Amino acid sequence: MSEGLKFVQEELNDSVKLSLFGEVDIYTSQELKEKLYSIVDNNQTDLIIDCKELNYIDSTGLGIFVGALKKTKQYGKKIVITSLKDNIKKLFIITGLDKVFVIE
Amino acid sequence: MNSVNDKIELTLPFKAEYVSVARLVASGVCSRIGFDIEAIEDIKVAISEVCSKIVSIGSEIANSYTIVYDVSENALDVSYVCDDPSLKCIFDEEKDGLAINIITALMDSVVLCDKSNRIISMSKVLEGNR
Repeated sequence: MSEGLKFVQEELNDSVKLSLFGEVDIYTSQELKEKLYSIVDNNQTDLIIDCKELNYIDSTGLGIFVGALKKTKQYGKKIVITSLKDNIKKLFIITGLDKVFVIE
Repeated sequence: MNSVNDKIELTLPFKAEYVSVARLVASGVCSRIGFDIEAIEDIKVAISEVCSKIVSIGSEIANSYTIVYDVSENALDVSYVCDDPSLKCIFDEEKDGLAINIITALMDSVVLCDKSNRIISMSKVLEGNR
């Protein structure tokens, strides 16, 4: 059915990189929320979200990215989103979130 | 509404784990019509957004909701029905929300809160037939 969602977390010098694999939808979004929020609160560093292997995300997932960004900003840090696939980048553009996040 | 050749109905419980099934069916149906990969992705996202909204609201009296895929030669019409009349105008409180913005941007037409028994209906036409 759904390919689900998997994570790989790497601690870098002054940031944490979280690579996402699979799909973020209403079923997997809670998992994403818990993961992102715990990284932000526990590390209080910049967060790099690698979306190279992220195949699908919906508004629930985008909302969680926004929530994580708010938390990150409370610590004076930022979120950088990398390697978005075209179909997902399109959603960031439609919703205006391409202007809210640093996208590389 | 485009001239319909085939109708496919998918009835799902109000459970988040089955929203991906709606995407899978959409993918197969859209591929059969001849949509390109980009359009198929758009339709999958729009269909999934509506399912997520319906599932997140849920129902006190119904066990399931039905997605109707009306397939014609050059278009797909998708509508959602449920026995629970309270499941109507589900996007009313978030007219500027992410989900409805995405749905209206990705589909060619979206009808909310019409007078029929549909929760929402939307359609996408093959490029070159618009």
